[in-house]
Amino acid sequence: MSAVWRASRAAVKRRRVQTFVIGLVVLLSTTTIVVALALLQASSAPFDKAFAKQLGPHAIAVYDPAKVTDAQLTGARTGVTAAAGPFGQVTLDVSGISVLGPPGPKTVVGRADPGGPVDRLDLWKGRWPAAPDEVALNLADPGPDDEGPPLDSGEITFGGKRYTVVGWAHSLSQTADAWVTPAQMTALHPTSTQMLYRFGGDVSTKTAVNTDLAAVTAGLPQGALIAEQPYLVVKEEVAEDIGVYVPFLATFGVLGLIVAVVIVGNVISGAVVSGFRHIGILMTLGFTPRQVVAVYLVMVLVPTVVGCVVGTITGTLAAQPLLSEGFQGLGLDVGINVGVWIWVAGLVGVPALVALAAFVPAVRAHGLSPAQAISAGTSPRTGHGTRIQRRLAGVGLPRPVTLGLGMPFARPGRTLFTVVAVLLGVTTVTFATGLADSLTRISTLEDQASGQIGVRPSDGQMRIIREGQSPTAPPARTSRTEAQVEQLLRGLPGAARVTAIYSLPVPTVGHMQPLNVNFVRGDYSSMGYQGELTAGRWMTAADQTVVPSAIMRERGLKVGDKLTMALGGRQAALTVVGETMDGPSGPPGIFADWRVLTDLAPDRVVRPDEVYFQVQLEAGGDVAAYVTAVMAADPAVEAWDTARVSDFEITVIGFSSVLSLLLSVVAALGVFNTVVLNVRERRRDLGMLKSIGMTPRQVVTMVLTSMTVVGVAGGVLGIPIGIVAHRYILPAAADAARVAIPHAVLEVWQAPMLALMALAGVVIALLGALLPARGAARLTIAEVLHNE
Amino acid sequence: MTTDTCVVRLDDVRKEYGDTTALDGVSLEIRTGEAVAVMGPSGCGKSTLLNMIAGLDRPTSGSVRVHDEDLGRLNETKLALFRRHRIGMIFQFFNLLDDLPALENVTLAAQLTGTKAGPARKRAMELLDELGIADRRNAYPATLSGGERQRVAVARALMNRPALLLADEPTGALDSRAGEQVMDLLLDLNQIGQTLLIVTHDERLATRCASRVVELADGQITHERTLERA
Repeated sequence: MSAVWRASRAAVKRRRVQTFVIGLVVLLSTTTIVVALALLQASSAPFDKAFAKQLGPHAIAVYDPAKVTDAQLTGARTGVTAAAGPFGQVTLDVSGISVLGPPGPKTVVGRADPGGPVDRLDLWKGRWPAAPDEVALNLADPGPDDEGPPLDSGEITFGGKRYTVVGWAHSLSQTADAWVTPAQMTALHPTSTQMLYRFGGDVSTKTAVNTDLAAVTAGLPQGALIAEQPYLVVKEEVAEDIGVYVPFLATFGVLGLIVAVVIVGNVISGAVVSGFRHIGILMTLGFTPRQVVAVYLVMVLVPTVVGCVVGTITGTLAAQPLLSEGFQGLGLDVGINVGVWIWVAGLVGVPALVALAAFVPAVRAHGLSPAQAISAGTSPRTGHGTRIQRRLAGVGLPRPVTLGLGMPFARPGRTLFTVVAVLLGVTTVTFATGLADSLTRISTLEDQASGQIGVRPSDGQMRIIREGQSPTAPPARTSRTEAQVEQLLRGLPGAARVTAIYSLPVPTVGHMQPLNVNFVRGDYSSMGYQGELTAGRWMTAADQTVVPSAIMRERGLKVGDKLTMALGGRQAALTVVGETMDGPSGPPGIFADWRVLTDLAPDRVVRPDEVYFQVQLEAGGDVAAYVTAVMAADPAVEAWDTARVSDFEITVIGFSSVLSLLLSVVAALGVFNTVVLNVRERRRDLGMLKSIGMTPRQVVTMVLTSMTVVGVAGGVLGIPIGIVAHRYILPAAADAARVAIPHAVLEVWQAPMLALMALAGVVIALLGALLPARGAARLTIAEVLHNE
Repeated sequence: MTTDTCVVRLDDVRKEYGDTTALDGVSLEIRTGEAVAVMGPSGCGKSTLLNMIAGLDRPTSGSVRVHDEDLGRLNETKLALFRRHRIGMIFQFFNLLDDLPALENVTLAAQLTGTKAGPARKRAMELLDELGIADRRNAYPATLSGGERQRVAVARALMNRPALLLADEPTGALDSRAGEQVMDLLLDLNQIGQTLLIVTHDERLATRCASRVVELADGQITHERTLERA
């Protein structure tokens, strides 16, 4: 074995450039793979860990206390391994904007303590309520860098009664918005009873959980169960934020992996072919064919091991900030790390893949006799390559160009590998470019829909301060009604369209959680939301609604369904006529005409600070001047420019740019390696050509032309693959984020852009070929021909 | 056939490779129409001398002038142009491009100068015809005999009508019959005015083709003799 090791070590030293290229390619690819796998793992595992730690309920069930007794609920335990409850539950309106969000109904539950066999709450600040006027609110721990909301000033009004906020707890399963003592709940006259269950059976799907729940409720009176929620609903919500990255990262990871395997295959087959004489010498020295294969496997595994170790570490370091960013504030208090299996994938899986890719061409060495091997280097080339060279000789192009055009056909296998590497580089660039364009279009659509200017009257307690400015005066409360504010906005110079939005959670028949409704008035139909339609049509009557795709999926809705809103004893039925990508800023909410609010709550007085206004200006309007005019007309009305680029857009575009650059470099390294091998093999030919008067520039032209062919082929083939990847992966990413996207954002390809993409292949190929081409031009003729 | 015009002039040329001195103060002149053979044992500096004259390598000191052009002052591009227009080279192992047939190997030299494919092929055909291998013009080097390959190499070397033809062991890889043919060919070329510099071990080749023999040993010219040819 020592002879094999010595021969391998010598081969590594002799082929420093190739060794470096293999190591670098493996390093970059492993980094990409580790990042992608870490995100795949993170999109699921942290929730499971935190859920297990809290003993989260597999199902939350809400019962009607008029139809079922607490004793009946406690007794029903078929398939249940642990249960909590019964807890009294009531829906109360919270007044004003609070840490719980906009005003509206909230779920309040009576619980004696935050522990128990199910849903052990994380009481991360303060204490549990002990007196009638005390409450604990549900909020995720913002982390050590953030103190969270202050307790001393914490008061909140539920159902017209003021409560002191004594603690902050987090229920990952969102079993309540607030908790009070059981005695207080009794005084509030609970309208429903909450039970929390953990099951011993299959809980892997929503259907399985519902089946488990059905077994529990089987013996209970008809209609006792009002609503239920499997834990997977929350899990999907948690995974949503991080899940959107995963298809992109997985794509880049897979591309990186393929590029790595292709290039390693290319490098090894090239090493075997260009090392025929070396193999022959090893065999004459007494190396067995198996030892020869071992020499070449070890030769490639040395840089691979170094590359994958460094790549795994780099990938782990790169993944950590992305993971932290994705999970910040989600309340997943279990440490997020790159799992051991990912380390194994990087440290064992990648070398195994490389070894496999190396093994096939290395076996070719196995089949050579020493005589064949030694003479192989001087044996003539025949076949398609010679015929093509012959035909090109008659083409009316400069001879260095035609010689270069023919070079790729001399080694079709190697050329094919190189074309695939460039192809994947171009695919990556195409995909990343399309992705960036689509995200920009989504951002533009959102900007158009949200108007150019956001306006919200102050509530007298808070004011919106523009970035980089400090408050110049305490907040004032406007004396205008919300209708007067709208009138003011319409009357200011330049205003073209104004929409008023009042967001309110409204209980909906058949749904456990209230549905957030954006009651809209004014020019909402022409604001641009129609551009965000992904299915159906825009609403044309007051009994119609358009629903963001996130809600459609969460609630299992489809176009044509009816939603019955219930408020203050009145009901309104709305037909879902369309689905949009999303809606106004804030929590997702369905669109409903303001008249629905008037029908449901005719006596409701909407305060101006509860309404958010969107303003679009006439073409060429001055946003800054309008904002100034609003503030001048009423200092208690806050206005701001809404143009912005989302963090997500910046992250994905930045990340995809880095990865496409990374894979382009890898592809260029593949070309570099091919040209190094070609030049090494054709040293004699190059020496001869120089001896008969080929200038250095002509040598460079010839070599670059040979790789231009590769670049054009890779570009032409890589573009359609990139387009197809974009067409499938972007919707998949949106699906992971549980939203749908308009078809228009996928239509990003135009001829000039495609021409630029095609150039990407040529640029990758030329960049990779330039250095070795210049090296070829500097070959010392006397030395080359003398060695021959 | 000789004239007084000097084609090659080497003045006190030294060439060192690290600690090894390949040429040690060599001075030499070759006149138009001369056929000079450089002889000597292996490692005496014959090939280095030829490389200096062909512009394939540069002297450590001294000057090499070919057609009054100081090769030491030329950059790589100008050296390439010099080789293209002024000299033709014949190698022991032919150095033909394996993936081109005989005709295209010959035309290559002209096409590098920008000559169109048509005129280049016409000239190449004339040369192949003169050298007696026109019928093998479409054969690839692998299918040619050693003698045929060397004839193709000679045709390629003559393609741009060089002032000086350099031959490095031109019969070294050939059997005796093919070697004879190549010797005849070189002799014929010299007799029609082609200046020749032949580097060889082969005394027979030297005495048959050359009008002057220069003997080298340890990088120095040790002996020169002029031959009378029949």
